Amino acid sequence: MHIMEGFLPWEWCLLWYLISIPVVAYGVIRIKRITDEKPETKPLLAVSGAFMFVLSSLKLPSVTGSCSHPTGNGLGAVLFGPAVASVMAAIVLVFQALLLAHGGLTTLGANIFSMGIVGPVVAWLVFKGIKKIGWGPSIGIFFAALLGNWLTYITTALQLSLAFPIPTFGEAIVKFMVIFAYTQVPLAIAEGLVTVVIFDYIKKRRPDILKKLKVIGPEEEERIEEAGVA
Amino acid sequence: MIDEGLNMFDNILDTYAHSNNLKDMNTNFKVLFGILTMLVSLISTSPIVPFIIAIFMSGLILFKAKIPWKFYLKFLVIPFSFALLTFVFMAIFFGIGTHILELGIFNLAVTEDGFNLGLLVFARVMGGFSCLSFLALTTPMTELFSVLRLIKIPKIVLEIAMLMYRYIFVFLSEAITMYHTQETRLGYSSVKKSIKSLGMLGSNLFIRTWMKGEQSYITMESRCYDGTIKTFKKQRNINTIRNSNLALLVLFEVMLIIGLYFTGSFSVF
Repeated sequence: MHIMEGFLPWEWCLLWYLISIPVVAYGVIRIKRITDEKPETKPLLAVSGAFMFVLSSLKLPSVTGSCSHPTGNGLGAVLFGPAVASVMAAIVLVFQALLLAHGGLTTLGANIFSMGIVGPVVAWLVFKGIKKIGWGPSIGIFFAALLGNWLTYITTALQLSLAFPIPTFGEAIVKFMVIFAYTQVPLAIAEGLVTVVIFDYIKKRRPDILKKLKVIGPEEEERIEEAGVA
Repeated sequence: MIDEGLNMFDNILDTYAHSNNLKDMNTNFKVLFGILTMLVSLISTSPIVPFIIAIFMSGLILFKAKIPWKFYLKFLVIPFSFALLTFVFMAIFFGIGTHILELGIFNLAVTEDGFNLGLLVFARVMGGFSCLSFLALTTPMTELFSVLRLIKIPKIVLEIAMLMYRYIFVFLSEAITMYHTQETRLGYSSVKKSIKSLGMLGSNLFIRTWMKGEQSYITMESRCYDGTIKTFKKQRNINTIRNSNLALLVLFEVMLIIGLYFTGSFSVF
C-alpha cells in the first residue's frame, strides 16, 4: 500500500528517509560491485525491475471485494537478495510516483521502508529459514511472498499510527490494523499463491535462469542445484 | 476486478509529459518549483495554504500546460476519493474533543479535533498531489533523469533506471496482450482460475523479460558496450534558470510561507 503524497507530517517523512537511505545506499554499492564484475547483469537487473513495476501494477483478485496489487517483494527478494531488491523497489516507487501518481515524493522514504526494506528482508529471512528446516522451495516461496506482503501492510499501519497517534499510539494502531492487517490476509495469501505459480513455471521452463541468477543474487548453490534438477 | 488494474494504464502520464505546453520550459525550474511548493504544502499547519496551492497548481496544469480537463478530472478522482475517505474516517475516529455532530448510531460522533485533523490531512494530500501531478504531467522522464544526474544520484542507478523506463512500456503492452488472451479463454472466471492465470502471466512475462535482457546485452556488446551507457545530451540552454524567473519563484514561495504564518492557527472549529 502506497502512502499518499502529503499524508505524513514532515517530521515523519524526514525520519523514514533517514532510515531508508543507508539501506538503499548499501544496495547500490552491492549492485555496483556486481555490475563491475559482470557487466551483463546490468540489462538483466533493468528488465527485472521493469518486471517488478508491471507486476505491481496488476491487481490481485480478492475475496473481500477490494483490490490490491502484489508487492512483488517475495519474488524480488528471493531471486536477487534483499539489498538489491531494495534498490529496485526504490526505483520502481519513483517511477510509480511519476508515471502513475501512486505514492509520492515526500512519502517516498516511508514507502521504501515498508515495501523496499521490511517486505524483502522478511521474505528473504522466511525463505532461508524454511530452507533450513528442509521444506521444498515452493513452500518457502509461498510463505516468503505471503509474509513479505503481509508485513509490508503491518509496517504501513505502524507508520500511519506513529504519525497520527490519536488519542494514543495504542488505540491508533488498533484502528489502522483493523483496516490494513485483517483485510490484507486474503490478499497476502493470494500473492503467495500467485508467486508460487510464477516460481514453479520458471523452474519448469527455464531452470537455467535460476541457475544464472546466482550472478545477481547471493550465492545460493544448493537452491540453484535443486531447481536445476527439478 | 483485474480490468481496473489494466485500464489504469490509459492514465499513464507519460504521453502528456511529452506533449504538453510546458514541456520546453526549463526542467530544473519546473522541478525546483514543484518540489518547493510541495514542501510548503507539507509543513503547513492549516488547510488554507495547501488548498490555495492545489487550486493554483491545477490552474497551471489546465490553463498553462493545457492538459485536457476531462483527463485531469478523471485522474484526480482516485486521490480525491481516498483523501475524502480519510477525512471522514479521521473526523469520526480520531478525536477526543467535543462532539459537534452526533451520528446517532453506535454512539459515534464527529469530533472537533478529529474534524480539524482530517481537514488538514485532506488539504495536504490535495496540495501535495497537485504538485506531484504538475511534475508528472509537464516533465518527461528523460528530462527528469538529467535533474537526477545533477543532484548526484549514482550513475549505475540512473543507467538501470533508464533501461528500466524503456522496458516498462514494452512489458506493459505484452502483459495487456497476454491478459486479454487469457480473458477470452475464461482465464479469470473464478478466483482459483484468476490466481493460476495471473501466475502464468507473471512467469511468462518474467521469462520473456529475461530473454529481452539477454538479447539487449548481446546487442549492446556488439556495439562496443564497455560497462557504461553513453547518451547524447542536447546542448540546449535548458539548465540555467534566468534570474528574473528565479526571483519570481522565490517571491512566490515566500508569499506562500507568509500565508502559512498568518493562517497557521486557523481551524474551522
